[in-house]
Parts: sequence; C-alpha cells; structure tokens
Amino acid sequence: MLVQEQVQEHAAAAAHGAAEKFNAGEVIIHHVANSSHEEPLFRLPTILGIDFSVTKHVLMLWMVAAVLFVVVTWAVQRYLKQERLIPSGVMNALEALVEFVRDDIVQPNVGRKWVGAWAPLILTLFFFILGANAIGLVPVFDVLGLLDHFVLHTGEHSFLKQLLHGGTTATSNFNVTAALATITFGAIIVAGSMAHGFVRHWLNLAPHGLAWPIYILLIPIEIMGMFVRPFALTMRLAANMTGGHIAILAILSFVFLFTEMAGAAAGVGVGVLSLPLGVGISALEIIVVLVQAYVFTLLTAVFIGMAIHVHH
Amino acid sequence: MDNPLVQVDPGLFIWTIVTFLVLLTLLAKFAWTPLLQALESRQALIRKSLDDAQQATKDLERLSLESAQIISRARAEAEAIVSQSRSDGDRLREEIKQKARAEADHIVKNAERQIQLETSRALEQIRREAVDLSVMIASKIIQRNLSKEDNERLIDEALKQVETRRH
Repeated sequence: MLVQEQVQEHAAAAAHGAAEKFNAGEVIIHHVANSSHEEPLFRLPTILGIDFSVTKHVLMLWMVAAVLFVVVTWAVQRYLKQERLIPSGVMNALEALVEFVRDDIVQPNVGRKWVGAWAPLILTLFFFILGANAIGLVPVFDVLGLLDHFVLHTGEHSFLKQLLHGGTTATSNFNVTAALATITFGAIIVAGSMAHGFVRHWLNLAPHGLAWPIYILLIPIEIMGMFVRPFALTMRLAANMTGGHIAILAILSFVFLFTEMAGAAAGVGVGVLSLPLGVGISALEIIVVLVQAYVFTLLTAVFIGMAIHVHH
Repeated sequence: MDNPLVQVDPGLFIWTIVTFLVLLTLLAKFAWTPLLQALESRQALIRKSLDDAQQATKDLERLSLESAQIISRARAEAEAIVSQSRSDGDRLREEIKQKARAEADHIVKNAERQIQLETSRALEQIRREAVDLSVMIASKIIQRNLSKEDNERLIDEALKQVETRRH
C-alpha cells in the first residue's frame, strides 16, 4: 500500500501545482495499475471477504461492454431490419470481422458442426478483449486530467479526480485476464462435455489403452496442462498489455528526468527523440492490441477444438 | 506484495466474469445469433442464385440448340412437302390430261359412229325414196299397176341389185 499512498501524495501535490521531484517509476505504475480499493469510484459492500467496489478497471470493462453492446446490436439490428440484406457503414467492418472470426478462428478449430455453438463465445471474447485493449491506447482520462488541471480546477476528492487514478487498460490487469481465462477454462469443459458427455470428457484427458505405469506420469501432466493453458493465456495478455504501456511511459519520462537533471533545454532535446519513439511504439501497440485479442481467442478456439476432437 | 501490478483483486475477477457473461448473453441473443443466421442464409442465397444462373445459362443453351434443330427439321419437312406436292401436281396434271384425251377420243369416236349411222340411215331412206320413185315412174311408164306381189318382188329385186352394187 506504500506505493498507493505515494501515488495519492503525488496526485495531491500535482493538484496543488507544487514542484516535486519527478519519480518515473511511480508515475508509470500509477498509469498502468488499477485504482486502489482504498479510493474506489463507487464504494460497494464487501461480501464474503470480497470487495466489490467499482475500481477503474471495472468501470473500463463496463464501458467497453456497454459501447460494444450498443454499437454491435445497433449495427446488426439495423442490418437485419432491411428488406434486402445489404450491409452498409459499420456493418461492413463488423461483418468482415465476424466472418474472419467465424471462418478463420472458430471453424477450423471446433469444426463445422460446433460453429453455431461456439462462435458467439469466441466472437464476444474477441471483441471484448479487442475493445478493452484498444481503449487503453486512447488517452481519454489524460485529456480529462489536463482539462481539470488547467480549466476546471475541481476539488481534491471530486469524482473527476477519482477517475484519474489508475490506468485505462483493464486487460493489463491479470485479475481481468485470469477471469477471461477462467471463461476459457470453463468453455473447454463445457465443450468436451457437450461433445462426449461429462464423464467421457475427463476420461479423454489421457489417451486410452496404455500400460498403467504410464498413467501415473501422464495423469498429473495432463491435469497440470489443464491449468497451465489458462494460466498462460492470463499472463500473456496481461504482460503484453502492460509492457507496451510501460515502454511508452518510460520513454516519455525521459523528457521530465532530463529536464530535472539538466534543465528545460535538455528536456526539449530529449523530447524531440522521445516523442517520435513514443509514437512509434504506440503504432506498434495497435498491432499488439489486435494480435493479443487474436491470440487469446484463437487459443481459446484451439483448446475448445481439442476438447471436441480428441487426438492422442 | 505491495506492487499494485500483481495485487490479487477477487472483486475485479468476479466483476470481469459477470460483465463478460452478461455481455455474452446480450450479444448472443441480440447480435451474434441473428447475424450468423443472416450470414448463413445470405451465403445460401448467393450459392442458390449462382447455381440458378448457371442452370439458366445451360437451359438457354439447350433451348437454343433445340430450337435450331426444330427450325432445321421444319425447313426440311417444308421442302419435302413442296417437292411432294410438286410431283403430285405433275402426276395429277398428267392424269387429267390423259383422261381428257381419252374422253375426247371417245366423244370423237361416238360422233363418228353416230355420223355413220345417220349417214347409212339417210342413204337407206334415199334409197327407199329412189325405189318408190322408180317404181312410180316405171308403173307410169308401163301404164299398169302391178299386183302387190309383183310390186314387192320387184322392189326386193331392185334392192338386191342395189345391195350387190354397193358391195
């Protein structure tokens, strides 16, 4: 909690406009971590020891979900209302993405028979992760912060100030990615049970007809594998989403570090280099955002496919 | 662990799952299922349209081929009919001509026979007249009436003489 206190102090100091020594690590952490449970956006009761307060990442997830639902449903319903089904506008892009997910991610892995059953899950995963990844690239709250700092001057504990705590990329939080991986974990079991029956699915984990000593070795390995897969999904997405942001923030921090060390001129000089580099990494992030959403959903589809089509 | 990047946050974990499942349910109901169905049916429609177009092209080709065959067959038939009727006409004309000629011959022959008959009858009559005149003249000359028997005998003799002269 030490860091969070520091973050709050820093924020408070910044709000007063006081000159304080620039702490790059603290700033970076502040921009990628979730807002603290000590100061949530909405305080909700703690049930069974779990604090359900709405932190910034919960808010971001809700925003992504709401925007996604409204945009996708609006586009689809508008498309379906037509007498002749001719896609236009947003629907063109949406249809291209939906067909890509259906034909290149879902169908090759789960097979033609199960496309209808699993396409909605994979589609939702893809768009949800993509949306949550992508919104982290848009500095909405940084702009709000600037606006607050120079124009609005709201109070220290205003809702707007609360919003400024924490990073916007929910998928960089491994609690979020672990939850998504848990969805995958559950989907694998459901897929196996739907295709082969519940008991048969568990028997399918290990190949049949081997000598019994091999099973002593194999069964623990397969059970480990069952958990390692979602764990790898969790870490891959969270680490990738955190890494790029840290890199951008670190490079931009050079400007302030050099300003403190050698004056404004040095800061501007470094900024001339840092800014294009930051832009370049942001561009790279766009690709990472797409690739990670793709990888997560592709692997989910592959795992579901493995549960349906058992190969040993 | 006081690093905020690796803080376990069960609240966020559960919120994520809840948010995702709610989004999944809503999107599946209102967007994905109808959209996927629409895409599927449109795909089927496009496939059917293309098949139909192909079938129509094939049908058209077959029909044009068939109609060409029908036309050529009709033309050949028409030609056959024309030539047949031409030869029929020729034959008929020939027949009619023949019949007409035969009839004409027949008429001519009849007329000739009639003429002959009339001629012989006239001659007979003339001859009888002549005989009667001769008898009258002869009786006048001999001044006496011959008996009926003599008369008939004389006529017969005279006729016989005429007959023999004619032959």
